[in-house]
Amino acid sequence: MKLKVSLGVLVWTLLISLAHISLNIGWSNVGDVVRGMFSNAKTQLRVGYLPVT
Amino acid sequence: MTSWVTEHTETTLSFDERKFTDFATVKEALIAQRVDAVFMLAPMAMQLRADGVPVKVVYLGHRDGTALVVDKHAAIEDFGDLRDKRIAIPNRFANQAILMRRMMRDWEMAPDSIQLLEVPPPEHPAALESGSIDGFIVGEPFAALAELNGTGRVLYQTKDIWPNFISCVLVVREEWIDEEPQAVQELVTGIARSGMWLESGLEQRMEAAEIAAENFYYQPKELLEYVLSKPPDRVKYSELGPRRDDFEEIMELALEFGILSRRIEFEEYVDDRFVPDADQAGWDLEHLPGTRHGAVL
Repeated sequence: MKLKVSLGVLVWTLLISLAHISLNIGWSNVGDVVRGMFSNAKTQLRVGYLPVT
Repeated sequence: MTSWVTEHTETTLSFDERKFTDFATVKEALIAQRVDAVFMLAPMAMQLRADGVPVKVVYLGHRDGTALVVDKHAAIEDFGDLRDKRIAIPNRFANQAILMRRMMRDWEMAPDSIQLLEVPPPEHPAALESGSIDGFIVGEPFAALAELNGTGRVLYQTKDIWPNFISCVLVVREEWIDEEPQAVQELVTGIARSGMWLESGLEQRMEAAEIAAENFYYQPKELLEYVLSKPPDRVKYSELGPRRDDFEEIMELALEFGILSRRIEFEEYVDDRFVPDADQAGWDLEHLPGTRHGAVL
């Protein structure tokens, strides 16, 4: 019983987290954070622009 | 330009471009640190700084390159004919909004005699075509787009009514200026070099139109070629260092028209330390690195 509850909580937490990332944070932002934490790649200077002169 | 800077950087950084469709969203992204630098409307940058956001203007994106466009078939011959009309502006914190109010003042029109509507720039031509607005004032290529699709005609180019008009400026978060000044310098120098290259001839402008159309703007090459050549001084990429006189003029007008909430000093919102090195940058005028000749993009 304990195992089932633990697994249920785990799956529920995972699903909620995935939904939160998908709906509120965005996978590209999570990707940026993960890359910054684990890779030796260059740090990015992110430049925002509109397609206007 | 960001691709070229990444390829040629002397730091361990890369430069990544993020495309947006409206200025309100790009402003929020800068505040939330989802981007580190943006090309943003000059008065919007001033207001951000007045609100305590740690950002500074370090360079201009271009000069001129904005047009007031009206319905091609409307009986509008001069600014006075815009009375009671609906004109789209890119944002309330746009220099275009200041220009409209300055023109109303100069033409002795009441401040509310023209209805100014905030509309994201890419939507201006469609709004004119649908008849929901009578005209718009915005940066290129959207004025040219309305001209080419036969719905709009240019009433004024800003170069003719406010020479050296400033629309977008490069704004960088202060932590990058303080902690990675070399990266900011490379970005500014990249803009300066791109500008020098664009100003070196029509052939270079045509090549730039092709690169921007295919890789960044995703707009027809012919449209960008038109913007960069009809006439060639429609958009200028020189004199891009932020000058005190220009910004103080914008500040005074913005305060007069109630666009900015408070006065701030030039040094508070501008950091021009990167301008001298950028202006001394050389440029290989034979080709643009990162193009079909250099294959960076």
